[in-house]
Formats: sequence, C-alpha cells, structure tokens
Amino acid sequence: MELVLLILVPLAFAILIALRPAQESKFHAVIGTLLAAGIGVNALGRFDWGSPASMQLAAAWDWLPAIGLRLSVGVDSVSMMLIALTLLLGPICVFCSFTAIQRQERTYYSWLLVLQAAMTGVFASRDIVMFYTCFEFTLVPMYVLISLFGSTNRKAAATKFFLYTFTGSVITLAGLIYIAWFNATQLESVGIETAGRWTFDIGALELAAQAMPANVQGWLLLAMMCGFAIKIPLFPVHTWLPLAHTEAPTAGSVVLAGVLLKLGTYGMFRFVLPFLPAAVVEHAPLIATLSIIGILYGGLICWVQTDVKKLVAYSSVAHLGFCILGLASLNTIGITGSILYMINHGLSTGALFLLIGMVYERYHTRSMKELGGLAAKMPVWATFMIFFTMASVGLPGLNGFISEFMCLLGAFQAGDAWGALPGGTGGDLGFWYALVAGLGMIIAAMYLLYMVGRVVWGPLVLPPGHDDHGHGDHSHGPLPTDLCEREIFVLLPLAILCLVLGLFPGPVIKALEPPVNNIVETIEAAGRRPASPGGAHAMATSERETAVADATAAGGDK
Amino acid sequence: MTIVSDIMASVLSAALAAPESAHAVASAVEPGPWWVSLIPALPMLACILCGVCAAMRVKSKLPAWITVGCLGVSFALTVAMFQQLAGGRSVTVAWEWINIGWTDTHGREQRLLANFGFYVDSLTCLWMLFVTGLATLIALYASEYMSHDVGAGYCRFFAAFSLFVFSMACLVMGDNLILLYLGWEGVGLCSYLLIGYFYKKPSAVAAAKKAFIMNRIGDLGLALGVFLTFVQFGSVEYKVILEAAQPWIAAAQAGHFSEIPATVQLIPILLMIGAFGKSAQLPLYVWLPDAMEGPTPVSALIHAATMVTAGVYLIARTYPMFLVSEYALPIVAWVGALTALVAATIGMAQFDIKRIMAYSTVSQLGYMFAGLGVLTSTGAAFHVFTHAFFKASLFLSCGAVMHGFAGQLDLRKLSGVGKMKGWLVVTIAMLVGCLNLSGFPFTAGFFSKDMILAETFVTPGMAPIGWILLLTAGLTAYYTFRVFFRVFVGPKYFEPGDEAHAHDDHGHGDHGHGDHHDHAHAPETDHGHGKAHEFHPHAPGWAINLVLGTLTLCSIAAAGLYFMGDHGGWVGKMVHDSSAAIPAVAHDAAHAADGHGEAAHAVAHGTFLGMDPHKAMYYVSGVIGFIGIGVAFFLHYLGRTTAATANADKLLPMLGPIPRLAQGKWFVDEFYDLLIVKPLHLISIVFAYVDKLLVDGLVNLFGWIPRAFGSSLRPLQGGNLHGYAVQMAGGVAVLLLIVYLASIAGL
Repeated sequence: MELVLLILVPLAFAILIALRPAQESKFHAVIGTLLAAGIGVNALGRFDWGSPASMQLAAAWDWLPAIGLRLSVGVDSVSMMLIALTLLLGPICVFCSFTAIQRQERTYYSWLLVLQAAMTGVFASRDIVMFYTCFEFTLVPMYVLISLFGSTNRKAAATKFFLYTFTGSVITLAGLIYIAWFNATQLESVGIETAGRWTFDIGALELAAQAMPANVQGWLLLAMMCGFAIKIPLFPVHTWLPLAHTEAPTAGSVVLAGVLLKLGTYGMFRFVLPFLPAAVVEHAPLIATLSIIGILYGGLICWVQTDVKKLVAYSSVAHLGFCILGLASLNTIGITGSILYMINHGLSTGALFLLIGMVYERYHTRSMKELGGLAAKMPVWATFMIFFTMASVGLPGLNGFISEFMCLLGAFQAGDAWGALPGGTGGDLGFWYALVAGLGMIIAAMYLLYMVGRVVWGPLVLPPGHDDHGHGDHSHGPLPTDLCEREIFVLLPLAILCLVLGLFPGPVIKALEPPVNNIVETIEAAGRRPASPGGAHAMATSERETAVADATAAGGDK
Repeated sequence: MTIVSDIMASVLSAALAAPESAHAVASAVEPGPWWVSLIPALPMLACILCGVCAAMRVKSKLPAWITVGCLGVSFALTVAMFQQLAGGRSVTVAWEWINIGWTDTHGREQRLLANFGFYVDSLTCLWMLFVTGLATLIALYASEYMSHDVGAGYCRFFAAFSLFVFSMACLVMGDNLILLYLGWEGVGLCSYLLIGYFYKKPSAVAAAKKAFIMNRIGDLGLALGVFLTFVQFGSVEYKVILEAAQPWIAAAQAGHFSEIPATVQLIPILLMIGAFGKSAQLPLYVWLPDAMEGPTPVSALIHAATMVTAGVYLIARTYPMFLVSEYALPIVAWVGALTALVAATIGMAQFDIKRIMAYSTVSQLGYMFAGLGVLTSTGAAFHVFTHAFFKASLFLSCGAVMHGFAGQLDLRKLSGVGKMKGWLVVTIAMLVGCLNLSGFPFTAGFFSKDMILAETFVTPGMAPIGWILLLTAGLTAYYTFRVFFRVFVGPKYFEPGDEAHAHDDHGHGDHGHGDHHDHAHAPETDHGHGKAHEFHPHAPGWAINLVLGTLTLCSIAAAGLYFMGDHGGWVGKMVHDSSAAIPAVAHDAAHAADGHGEAAHAVAHGTFLGMDPHKAMYYVSGVIGFIGIGVAFFLHYLGRTTAATANADKLLPMLGPIPRLAQGKWFVDEFYDLLIVKPLHLISIVFAYVDKLLVDGLVNLFGWIPRAFGSSLRPLQGGNLHGYAVQMAGGVAVLLLIVYLASIAGL
C-alpha cells in the first residue's frame, strides 16, 4: 500500500493546493512532501533488505482486464533507492522555493507535487503502460515549471524540452508495445507461462523479449534508446538539457538533474539490459563510445562556459556518461556503480543547482564575469559550494567517488584481453575505454575548479548595483548576505548523505548486489556464456526453444 | 680467534636473516589492536572540532591547541604502535567500506573488498612516525605563524591541516589500494585548500588549481594501476597482492621476464605515473614550486616533508610488483635522476628563497626515486626520513624570515639576518638544514644521500645515473649555501616585503611572490638598514624557536640512525621487515641479469672507478659537497658588500643565455601551456560552437519540419499548460485503443 500512497498523497495535496488560497500553498506543499517522505521512511523500513532482488510492497488492480492491463506496483532495492531519492528531494525543492517563487504559487506547488507523484510512479510501476504513462506525465509539470517560472528564454526551452523528449519516448512506447504484441501473438508454448496472452507485466514481458531473435532485439534496442537516450541525455541527443537547465527555476533544475535524468538510466537498467541482453552485448561498445564522447565533449564544453548554471548543466552530460559507461560494461561492478551514480549525481548536482540558485536569488546573475570571490562575502555558502564541488569531482570519501570508480573499474574489467584473470569479466570494452573515460576525471577537475576559482575564490566581483557599500542591501530582498537558516537546512541533509554514502556505502552496495547479479547472469546467459559460442548472434528460429529455456532458467533464479 | 668467529657468526646470521626478511611478506597477518584506528581518527576529530569553532566564530587560538593536542596524541599512539609491532604485521579493520561480489563466467566467486582497514608493518610505522611527529611540531609552529589571521581563517587553516593528517594517515596506513587512493586524493584536496589559503590572491588560486589538476593526471595512472591490480589478482588488499607477486620474483631473479605476464609488468608502470604526479617528478613536477603560494607551515609539512613523499611510499609499499617488472625500476631511476638534475639547475637561478627550497625538494625527491630505481629502498626511505626533518626546518626557517620581514623572500633584498637580534635559533636551524641538504660529511643528509649514490654505482648499468646524481649533489651544495651566504651572513641589510604596509591584511593583497625574480635589482640608493622604511622586523617568538630547535636536534640526531644496526641502520631494519624489502636473491639476480648470468658473482658489485662504491662514496660525495659550498662562498660571500650584488654577477655574462633560461624555469610551464592547455582550450571552444550550431542545429531542423506543417495545431503549443496534458492523455488513449484492437484481431 505504501507505494500507492506515495503516488496518491502528493496528488491529493496537489489538488488541495490548487483549491485553497495561494497563501496556504507553501504550507500544504510542505505537509504533502513531508508526509510522502514519512510514508517513504516507513516503506524503507518495511522493505525486506534480506531479499532485495524480489519485487516487494507489491499491489495491483485490474485496469483493462481484456488486454491484461493492470495498475501494478512493486519495488526492488534499485527502485526503492531511487524512490527514496525522489522523496528526499521533494521537501528540499519546496523549501528552496519559498523566496524564489513569489507569484502563482498555487500553480507552482501543485505541479511540483504532481511531478513528484509521476516520478514515484515511474520507479514503482510493474506494468509497462503504467510506467510509460508516468514517464510521459513527468513532462507536463516540468513544462509548466520551466515555461512559467523560468528565466528569460523559458518558453523556447520548455517547448524544446517537451517536444524533444516526447518525440523520443513515443518510439520507446512503440517498442514496448511491440514486445507485448510479440508476447501475445508470436510467442507460444515455449515454457513461458504468460506467453500467448495479452499482458503488460514487466516480469512477463522480460522473458518474452529475451526470447526474441537478436536482430529483432537490436531494433528494439534502437527504439527504446530513442526515448531513454534523450532523457539521460546521451551524446548527441543532449542539447535540450543545457537549455532547459539554464532556464528552469532552481527547484526545476534540482528535480531535472536529481531525478528526471535518472528516468532514462533507470529505463535502461529496467528494460534495455534485462529485456534485450543479446542486443546489449552486441551494441555495448557503441553505447560505451557514445557515453565516453559525452564525458569528454561535455566536460570540455563546461570548461569554456561563462554561465555557472550552464556549466553545471553540461557537467550532467559528462557525469551521466560515466553512469552509462557503467551500465554498458555489463558486469556487476559497473552496473552497481551506475546505480550508485544515479543516486550520487542526484545529491551532488542537485545541491550545486541549489547553491547556484541561492546566489541567483541574491545577485540575479549567473555569469561568471559578474560574480567572483564570493567566499569573502558568503563563507558558509562557499564552504558548501566547495564541499559539493568535491563530491561532484569524485573526491574519495564523498559519494561521487565510489560510483565513478566502480563505473570505470567495470569498464576496465569488461575486456577480452584479460582472459581468465580473476578480476576480468569479459566483454568488448577494457583498458582503452577506461583510460579514455578516465580522462574525464581530469577534465572534471579542470572545469569544476575553474568554476570554484572564478566564483568562490579570487578577488570579489559583484554585478553592477551590488557594490560593497550599503550594508542593508535592499536588492537581496528578504535574504541575508550569507545563507539563511532555511537554506542551510536545505543543504545539510544532502551534505550529510554525500558523506555517509561516501564513507559507508556498504549496506547500499550489498542491497544492490542481488538484483544486479540477476541481470548480469541474464546477460551472460544470452550473450556471453562460453557454453553457447557466438551467443545470440547465431541463433536461428529453430534454436529459439533452447534459448528461451536458458532465459527462463536465468529468470527463474530470482 | 674469538673475534674472528664472532664476526663470522654475525655475518652468517646477517646472511641468514636477509632471506628470512625477504619472505617476511608471507608471514601471517595478525589482527591489530583497535586503537590503531585512533591514529587517523584523532586528526579527523580535530578537523571536525575546528569546523565547529568556525561555526561558533571562535576568535582565539583554540583551533590550534585542539589540533596540536589531537596530533600529539596521534603521535604518541604511533609510537605505541611502533613498539608493539616488533617486526610483525597486522591489520585493523575499522569498518567494511566497499564489498561487492559476483560469480564469474568460470563459476568462481569473485569479490571486490576494500575495508576501511589499517595495515601496519614497519614501513607504515616509519612513515607515520615522521608524519604525525612533524605534523604536531608544525601545527605548534603554525599556531604562532598564523596568529595574524585568528578567526575564520585560523579555523579554516587548522581544519584543513588536520584533514591533511587524516588523509595522509589513510594513505600510509590503508590496508588496500583503494583506501590508499582515498588518502592520495584527500591529501590532494587539502593541498588544494591550503595552497589556496590566501584565496583573494589570483596567483594562489591558480597555483591551487594547477596542483590539483596536475595531481589528477597522476591519479588517473594510479587508478588504472589499481584497476589492473584488481583484474590481475582479484583483490586490492596488500596482504593478498604483495604475496601474489612473490612467485614471479624467482623468474625476475633469473632475468626471465618473458615468463611474467605482461599485465603484471604493466601494473607498476601505471602506478608510477601516480607517484610522479604526487611526488612532483618529471614531467609532472611543475605544480610544486607554485604550491609555495600557501602559508609556509603548509609548504614545510605538505610540500616538503610528508605529502610529496607519498609517491616514494607507494613504490616502496608495492615494491614486489616493481621487482617483477622489466622496465619499471629503470624508468623510476632515470626519471628520478633527471628530475634531480633539472630541478637543481632551476633552483640555482631563482631568487625567491622559498622557491629555491621548493626546487630543492623536487630535486631531493628525484634522489629518492633514483634510490628506489637502483634497488636501494632502504636508501630511499632513509633519505625520505632525514629529508623530512631537515627540509621542514629549512622551510620553517625561511618562513620565520618571511614572517619577520613582512613577506620578503628575495635573497637580493635580505642580508646578514643572522647578525640581527633574536634570529640566532633561526640561523642555526638554517645552517644545520643547509649542511644536511648539501650532504656535508657526518650529517644525516650525507649518510642517506650516500646510500643512494653508492648503490647507483653498485647496480650495473646505472652508473650514468650515479654521475648525474653526483653532479646534482654539487649543484645542491652550491644553491643551498647561496641562500645561506646571501641571507644569513654578510652585511646587515633588509627591505621589508609588500605586506609591510598592510600588515593587518597579511597576505590578502593581490601581490604575487612569483614575480620577484623578474624585478630589477634592488635600488642601491636604499643601502641603509631599512630604518628609512620605518619598519621593524619582528623576531620569531617562543613557539617558532622551540619548533625550529627541536627540528634541528632531530635532523642532527637522524644521522645516528645510520649507526643503529647493519645494512642501512635503523631505517634499513624497518625496510627489511616490510614489503619494501629487497629479497637478497633478487638483488643479486638483478646484477646477474646484466652480467650475462654466468658471471653473476664476478660482477655482483659494480665499481666506482675501480673502487668499492660504498667506501669511495663517503669521500667523493664529501669532496663534491665541499666544492659546492666553496663555490657558493666565493661567489656569494667573499667580498660582498651589498645585499643585491655578489661576485656571481660578474660570472653571469660568460654563461650566455643559460642563466636566463634557468631563471625562467627552462620555460617548461610556457611549453605545456602552448602545447597542451591552449590547444585544449581551443578545442573546447570549437566543441561549444559545434554543440550550439551543429548538434543542436540539426535538432532544431527536425523541430522545424513538424512545426511547418502542423501550424494548425498552434493553439496547443502556444503555452496553454493544460493543452499538453490533454494532448498526451489523448495520445495514450489512442495507443491503448490500437493495442486493444490488435488484441481482438490477434485473438
């Protein structure tokens, strides 16, 4: 029930906010997000961490039984953690908007809560139609937040964001529907219980999709990646992101970087890897290459930005590249690192957007030409800024390191050159992929320290009209020169989590291990196990039965 | 007869002991006592408390006393750890950090396990003793040195200082390569924060950034080395990997490197890139001289005594892996020797005394690497140990001068400081430090440097390195005493630095010390005693004098360690009991490999001009040191009547452009800038435009097509918020309908 409540409670509060007067909006938004967070904590407690790979807290209702459509929810540890991230960022987004949003508060807060409900729905759903509905529905609130509450170029940014991501994901839907159709009409009497019936259950369709010939899987991979790659965003379909980030209000950027991008990586983890193992094995080098281009290309573009927010936005392109590289390494360390990266990037980049928003509220500029040496004026802000920059740059001891290190190690392991060495997992990546991607570590240090060197350190530079004279700086509005308590309160939980996840990632890794290992086994069964040389590539229709039996066996392990 | 038999017995026991210690790595690793974890934990506690002080806006010296106290206890615990160790090795696990397992395609269980655990053997103790000891002393020094900044800056300084000691402890004590990597990057962060301490100064910010990025280049090599270690051995824990390398040592002994897998031989090559970055070796050394932008205690602790020796530690710790690689140690030796020479030539031509010391650090680190490369890990470790003390005291003396003369560091603007009132301790500390650095006979630096020099001639094929290092030794003696003869003796004269006028805003101005050497010589008209400036230098107080005195005594006493036991004295024993031990057989075999096998014993020892290098080197290096000091005496002391000029100036025209090039640091920075930074920046700008015009342009083109023919739908896209929701709900409905129809058709 918790999962359903987690979707319904924010929706209910969204409606409440829309109905009540604007001055109550903040209050209801706080209550709504905190209530959801409380339910989330309860869900975390009820989740059986002893068997993290099984779908728990499940609930289901028939929707359209004629075609097997159900409203079905359930989470494994991966979904649970991403839901926890969503619920954590919920109240933070509300609290950070108190002073930034001064008009149309009802619209703002109700759409913010709708957004949270939709994102939770994506991670919780066990039915592909419900998944897709939530996945697409995140666009609407985000569109509203950007187009109504963004900065100067907000309309164009919102439209581009909407159309770009929407177009891609329609193709994803087509791919998913094709699998359901294949399951219902093409797949018969091969030992899969649900074959020959209409169903949209993720678990059932997983088995059906695995039974497809490799070339069909290849096409489906392309279809699914159309939606997911744009969402992530993977080079070269990333250009909506810097624009949307730059124009979005602070809370919008936080949600965008924190959770919305993860819908794409989560989609890859949940659908692409287990559904299409043969195709994934075949195309992993291509996906990895694109992600590495993203790491280097995105990073170098960051280095020449003058807009702080744009810099952090492009850094997401580079960072998510590491995340996809981990997934494409198709081994336990890489994929686990990738999931950790989803969480860690949400924390550190979300916090960086919050910090930039705090400066923007005070000085109404994001240009590094007009801002400099803020450490002298805002020491508390500067401390947080350096802390989260270091988390973002992947400093060991903070969260970013564990995931970045594991993604790179995963890519390194996945090389055929290692043969039967104990740490090698086989695959088509390897030393050079890790080396070139590793250059991204250096570039990350270059652009993030460039930003810190300009904005935080150096001689004090303030935009015109904010000279150091008058102490009662009226232009700050209600805000003091340095951070106020509310702002510190917003940043502190993120900082603590960065530290905790950096020093004590053990329990999290342990919880991720079983579901990841299931996927890795599926992939190996389909594409890499030495027992079936050539893997799925040589699979003919007549051999499909054995392959399906293999896949069923792998699926049955869960 | 009894004497002879005694000697025989001791030789025999020594000979027997050597192979034993070679296999010491294989001896059991015991669980260590819990309180070992306190050694890194206490500095962390100090860091947190300093942070609390900053939050409470403490305006006293409290953060300094917290730091000194915690570090002092940490040092005491290190001593206790050392005494309890007794030649064994232990691992104390604080908590499980990274632990992830899977079953590989061959059905084997694999696991990446990296604990927050502390591996203690004698090498750990050796390093931790001087790290915690020096950190405590330097924190005490800094309590006075940084007193002008009491308040937020003071808290920030000591928080970063404590965090550095924590990171360094993790680096040295970590029981696996990933925890070492944590410490490795952690010290990099603290270095970054402390170099950038005067954050309003653009030159400090740039130097901090440069240090971090240069180190990151090395870190990438280290990370890849860790990856490869894991892939090769299935573990990153020392207790596993150091033992796993042992079987190949036999093959390496015989010179059969082709029997050793290429992946194993690649590991040390990758690891050493990290070491070159952190220890400022060619080609990654350029960040260290710039790091002198930080406060002097930082330069002394981080950029001279401890952090920069992390590279030496890494190689010493993973020495078995270097031994089984054909090219690793020769590369290390050559890089070290060339770095030593290049840095010494630059150091000779600088005028900023702190930068001279920085280049001498780079140069001495080169000696240590050369020592590792020519199979004397003992010599390298001994030099690390002695260097830590005398270089710290040299830096702190320079710092005292800088502090007293308002930031003046130009040796042309200071003279005869030793004759001024209250500068006696500083002058003695400086003199002892200089004697050590220049390898004056019977100083600690003399013994440790000799150990390396002798071994270069012992190891066949390494004699060119020996000659390079001998030449460098002479240069070192010269530039070291150039500083001493210019600044501490001679006619009394000073010009205060540019902090004189804004002393309350110490170091926060926009001045760069790095530009001093470009200045014209100091105006001769100012040839007074500085009184015209109405500036009074303030002599150091008790804390600075106490610390300098202690360090001076330590650096003198360090020489005694050489006589505590055979084979390199106390340090030799420490190294022999650890993973850095050179198996006696391997040592001979390395000689044999070059001596074409059969004549192994005949060429077991290389010679120095036909003499035994171990004995000859005492005299040779002693003489070379004297020559260097003598040249400095003639060129910079004899007949010098002003601060700005000396006999050396008359020589300069004879050398053509060389002094100018050396003064410009051989223009390596400019070369890197032109070759790497500028092109990369250009590429980035091109990428930014490509992204905007090409990648995004294509998207816009696609976006234009539907807009062109779908203009009738404009109202839906015109910003009507709910329009999209309706549109999408409709879309989903249509899709569901299609599916439904398809299902009916299919059924």
